[in-house]
Amino acid sequence: MTVESDVSRLRRGDPEALAALLERYQHRLYRYLLRMVREPATAEDLFQQTWLRVAENIRRYDPARSFEAWFFSVARNLAIDHLRRYRPESLDETDSSEVSREWLLAAPGPSALERVLAGERAGRLAEAVAGLPAIYRDVLALRFEEEMKLEEIAGVLDVPLATVKTRLGRALEGLRHKIETEWRGDTR
Amino acid sequence: MTAPNDHGTICSLLALAVAGALEAEEQRRVEQHVAACPGCAAELAGWQELAGSLRRMPTPQAPAALVERTRARIEVQWVAQAEMRWNQQLMVFLVLFAWTITLVTWPIVRLASRGVASWLDVPYTRTWTDLVCYTVLVWLTAGVAAVVLAVRQRRERKLA
Repeated sequence: MTVESDVSRLRRGDPEALAALLERYQHRLYRYLLRMVREPATAEDLFQQTWLRVAENIRRYDPARSFEAWFFSVARNLAIDHLRRYRPESLDETDSSEVSREWLLAAPGPSALERVLAGERAGRLAEAVAGLPAIYRDVLALRFEEEMKLEEIAGVLDVPLATVKTRLGRALEGLRHKIETEWRGDTR
Repeated sequence: MTAPNDHGTICSLLALAVAGALEAEEQRRVEQHVAACPGCAAELAGWQELAGSLRRMPTPQAPAALVERTRARIEVQWVAQAEMRWNQQLMVFLVLFAWTITLVTWPIVRLASRGVASWLDVPYTRTWTDLVCYTVLVWLTAGVAAVVLAVRQRRERKLA
């Protein structure tokens, strides 16, 4: 069964289509929400809210649009609403270009990044991502974990394509800077 | 071959290059420069490593109980929505039914009232008052029917 056929059956209120879509997107949605809000209990609550919202508004979904983009935009809006209510500071967009330039001029040799990524501390990458502002965690998750096209991300975020590119660049630079500065000491 | 002063520009594009966020022309410039510049090639390798690690980050699994709870909640929501739709349709039907009954039966009621009035030898002059009373009576009957149906439905839902 394709996503499209499951979605059209869901529009008719078919419980099997709901089960199929839940099965298909359960882990991806949970992962995305967890990256956004960073707390399992909140991610679980938003997981339920997202599906309830999707089931409620599925008739308003335009089949000409990508279902995934629509689905993740529902999840994102709920996550952003939650963050606005409880952690407004994590939505700030900071200019990381200066720090990244400084990072690029760092001394040659194996960097903390290389050691972290190559070694047993690779699992800590998720921690570094979690330390970024929400708008950067968002764009990194959609691009590298959900493997969405840039145009789809622009649709989910409801921003121009150029903004997606800017955020992606800053997110990567911020992440690299974070790894380099915070883990410099404990990767030796 | 890229000009030496392109080096800084290319460096700033490397992160976007691994994110697949460059235009074709920019991508070509980056590839050309990297092929000739070992520093940028090493830099690009670092970015590629980071992008690869992001793609390979472990996926947290949604708890099975959460998925089950969600499915159950949606099904309850569907039942509630279907009930609401049915109630709305019933309400529209009752409104139309009440108006139809009022308008169709009013001439008969009026004729009968006149007949009774003339039989009792009483002058019949309260046409509008009677129409209003009759309309209220019909609507009250429809309202009682709606309340009875709603109570029955609620009882059925509780039993379910």
